[in-house]
Amino acid sequence: MIEFSGVSKSFGKVQALDRVSFSVGEGEVFGLLGPNGAGKTTLVKIATLLTLLDSGTCRVHGLDVRRDGAAIKRVIGVVPQANNLDRELTAYENLLIYGMLHKVPALKTIIEESLRSVDLWERRDSVVSGFSGGMQRRLLLARALLAQPDVLFLDEPSIGLDPQIRRQMWDIIRKIRIDGRTVLITTHYIEEAEALCDRVGILTKGKLTALDSPAKLKSQAGEYVVEFIGSDGALQQSLCRTEAEAAEAARRCTLSSVVRPTNLEDVFVRLTGRGAE
Amino acid sequence: MTLPFDWYPVFLREMLLFKHKLLRVGYLFSAMVAPIIYLITFGLGLGRYVTVQGGSYLTFLIPGLVAMTSMNNSYAWVASSLNLNRLYFKTFQVLVQAPLSSASILIGEILAGIVKGLFASALILIVGHLSAPSFAVTFIFTVALLLNCFLFASLGVIVGMRAKSHEDTATYSNFVIMPMAFLSGTFFRVDTLPPLIKAVVYVLPLTHTNILIRKAAMDAAAWISLAVLIVYAFVCFGYGAWLIRNYNE
Repeated sequence: MIEFSGVSKSFGKVQALDRVSFSVGEGEVFGLLGPNGAGKTTLVKIATLLTLLDSGTCRVHGLDVRRDGAAIKRVIGVVPQANNLDRELTAYENLLIYGMLHKVPALKTIIEESLRSVDLWERRDSVVSGFSGGMQRRLLLARALLAQPDVLFLDEPSIGLDPQIRRQMWDIIRKIRIDGRTVLITTHYIEEAEALCDRVGILTKGKLTALDSPAKLKSQAGEYVVEFIGSDGALQQSLCRTEAEAAEAARRCTLSSVVRPTNLEDVFVRLTGRGAE
Repeated sequence: MTLPFDWYPVFLREMLLFKHKLLRVGYLFSAMVAPIIYLITFGLGLGRYVTVQGGSYLTFLIPGLVAMTSMNNSYAWVASSLNLNRLYFKTFQVLVQAPLSSASILIGEILAGIVKGLFASALILIVGHLSAPSFAVTFIFTVALLLNCFLFASLGVIVGMRAKSHEDTATYSNFVIMPMAFLSGTFFRVDTLPPLIKAVVYVLPLTHTNILIRKAAMDAAAWISLAVLIVYAFVCFGYGAWLIRNYNE
């Protein structure tokens, strides 16, 4: 459904993407993880026709981004990282214009359904600039779904939202998953990827360094982690294959230590060398 | 080739934004203040002591002010809106990712610029009619005005797409639009200028709008000016379409 094959992209001397290859299957929710500047948004911009790739191929719904841009536009919905709603227009006007651009039939009914689904119908005539960050993200999601796209790109959909609102967003994304749409989410919230995604890919400095289901990535890295405070005062981690191996490592540790199951963030830190939010 | 009729949502979006802006008290005033100051200073003040080809200076000035106002407003609306939407608000992405042609985006933006230019021109015409009741709007005047709005809205697309920051659009305005407003015959007859300056001034599109907009009937000079404006309009439209078609972040 979404296929990247050897995709490279440079901005001047900066190599944003370096021969990235992976594919997202039909109906799959795929998470792209990586620290800031890893190339996640560039990859989304290539697939959603905002940025031209330098080399490689990218296909969306079987269509090539170089040749079939017009057809791709009919099957994608995008929630960008930067809010690109018309802030001077009302919620209703934003969806009206988007629906007309995408030739959505029975538009008024669809707009009402969309606004109700994200709890914004009562605020339909309010100007968007007066909305909270969470309301604006929900409206972006409603707009992206208005034309019933087969493929949805969510670039940091819950960035900057408080935990409660983030979980509301997750509920909406889970409903999208039930509808059978293909979804590519970029995020640097590890728990978001763990909660929503069938598979994740980890991008580090423009390269894909891991690709599998969250469970398998954790299993490959080691099922258990030993955490202890090192002599420099920093938190140290050691990934172990089995609980017994972890217990033995903890026993050898002279300082107090904790053994716990590995989570996706541990995998992320190991592969990227950086913490996540 | 199919004609791009998908421009309407692009145009409607701009009109909705325009409607919201119009509701702000200061907006109308800011659109009118400069040309009305010129009308009072040069037309009603200095103009009392000046005649042009035996006629009143005010009657000469009003078409020039309309040409200047339509240029400023058509250009500034499109250039500023497109540049801000592309670089800061990112709303231009929504248009680029929608299933419509680059020509549709261009036409929608240009038509919005034309409406803005005509709206500001109408305000000047109302004030002009009150100041000089003998002034009349002719068919040639209307054609020149529409063509001028189209041309400068197209130029606005070019600047809006090319400028690397919003400050850049001000630079284009200061070096292109503002000198044109004063040098192109808004306030005086260009045919009386020294030959070298006249040659430069005749390259400027607004000069030809000012020639055409003041003609009571088509003569050789009017046809030449009409042809020059059409060529400029086509070039700006074509380049604007190319810039949108090749949009790449």
